[in-house]
Amino acid sequence: MAETFAPPRRIDWVGISFAVVLTLVIIFPLIVVGTWAFTNVWRYPAIIPQEFGLRFWSQTLARPDVWSAITTSISLACVVTLLSAIICLPAAFAFARLEFPGRSLLFFSFLAGQAFPKFGLLVAIAGIFLGLNLIGTFWGVVLIQLVGTLLFMIWIPVAAFQGVDRRMEEAARDVGASPLRVFWSITLPQAGPTIAAAVLLTFVNTFYETEGAWLIGAPGIRTMPVLMISFINNQPVIQYGAVLSVILWIPSFFALLFARRVISGGSFARGFGA
Amino acid sequence: MTLAAASDIVGASNKRRRPVGLLLVALPVLLVGWMVIYPIVAAVITTIWRPDANGRYGISFGTYQFFFSDGYSLANLSLTLWTTVLCAIFLVIICLPIALYLRFAKGRLAAYVQGLAIFPLFVPSIILSYAFIRVLGPNGMVDILLNAVHLPKIRSPYLTPWGPLIGLVWDNIPLTVLILIAGLGSVSDASIEAARDVGARSWQVLVHIILPRIGNSILVAVSFSVLGIFSAFTLPYVLGPAAPEMMGPFMQRTFRDLYDPPNAITQAVIAFLFCIVFGLFYVRSVVKNQRGR
Repeated sequence: MAETFAPPRRIDWVGISFAVVLTLVIIFPLIVVGTWAFTNVWRYPAIIPQEFGLRFWSQTLARPDVWSAITTSISLACVVTLLSAIICLPAAFAFARLEFPGRSLLFFSFLAGQAFPKFGLLVAIAGIFLGLNLIGTFWGVVLIQLVGTLLFMIWIPVAAFQGVDRRMEEAARDVGASPLRVFWSITLPQAGPTIAAAVLLTFVNTFYETEGAWLIGAPGIRTMPVLMISFINNQPVIQYGAVLSVILWIPSFFALLFARRVISGGSFARGFGA
Repeated sequence: MTLAAASDIVGASNKRRRPVGLLLVALPVLLVGWMVIYPIVAAVITTIWRPDANGRYGISFGTYQFFFSDGYSLANLSLTLWTTVLCAIFLVIICLPIALYLRFAKGRLAAYVQGLAIFPLFVPSIILSYAFIRVLGPNGMVDILLNAVHLPKIRSPYLTPWGPLIGLVWDNIPLTVLILIAGLGSVSDASIEAARDVGARSWQVLVHIILPRIGNSILVAVSFSVLGIFSAFTLPYVLGPAAPEMMGPFMQRTFRDLYDPPNAITQAVIAFLFCIVFGLFYVRSVVKNQRGR
């Protein structure tokens, strides 16, 4: 396809300029943060830090607010992902394989939340939670984050279940395998990787969910992103924020390793209406 | 991800299983009803059906009248509109060339560019905010580098309306590029080669062949980012000015700090109204897309 626009062997100047500009704009700021995290002393206007080191790692990790934020974030993300998997995966299977009245309408009902600006919707939900005394509670945050996971956790697994080779299932049935056995030995291994990617993405998205946690959870529930906001606003020691950023990035790193295939594939973008 | 006709693996027992399907999807559907549909309906009703001075309930547009007569609220609304419109324009200007390049280029360099364009998906906006401050903030990395070559410092966009704008554009690049690339997939090589065979130049191919075919994808990408940007919270809250503020931080402050839910919910309903066209268009496109395959 390259031949259509540029004859072969010509240097791809457009590509090189995109690569350079994007590297500067996207990678460079993150390298600066990474450098700050491993810096003991960096006074303006030195280009290179005066002293590298891990001093602020031990100091950051010694802070009780950091540890309570880490445990809060992890337990929230685990509970939300688990609940989401429990209620969404059977639903995804039903949408993919079973006929029932209103199937199409109900399938698209998960888009309802997408038609509204997100924070406005969160404020509307918070108005309901006010009457239920869920503001500032763990379960209030779980509920609000759970709603945010539904679309992904149903649509991606539906695609996975529908992608399974039906002839293999039928062949297994023909030689006498029980439906459960077919599901366990044929369906799940084929749909599994995509579903695992959906679970991972749900965990990571929940881990980084900031707005619901801030609006509903404050002041009782303090997740890592929420703690990071207060570090940015009130913490004069730059390195605390940098170290927390690096720790905070770990789940994304795993998502990058394992879920990139799902995202780069066309079906992900098409799920967004492209 | 089509919702193709489901033929049950158990085939014959299909009809008997009907209620099972409904039962399996009941919980998430109820959750959407309770946590999305009901709050929106309730938000509209509670902001219109309000008690008057004597405590009697009736139709009242008091909170809306307050919003549209209050200078500060209007300043916040216009800042939000300014940011949203500029973000959408910048996103198209930046992402369309990237998507066009990726549609036609192959090889390692193109893969690298694509990887970079998608990378912000894997950077949570709170880390982005922090990186922004360290690079473009006062005495940030850009100042350090300028100082090293004896140039004056920049006027930092941190805590100005340009702060959230830059952050939001950065944050929205990946999905915009992905949506546009998917849209460009519908432009066939054959049609482009045909145009080039009759002597069309690159820009003519772009204007006459490519743009008409991806117009819809551009609208989808714009709608998606408008919905996200209009009520963005984290980036405007951390990077933006204290006053006027964008609708996201404004709603949050009204709700939590001023403890004024009726006015906060009114602001939310106003945000819904401003975005309703984009929201409906976006959802319609997704539905059409899912049905089409």
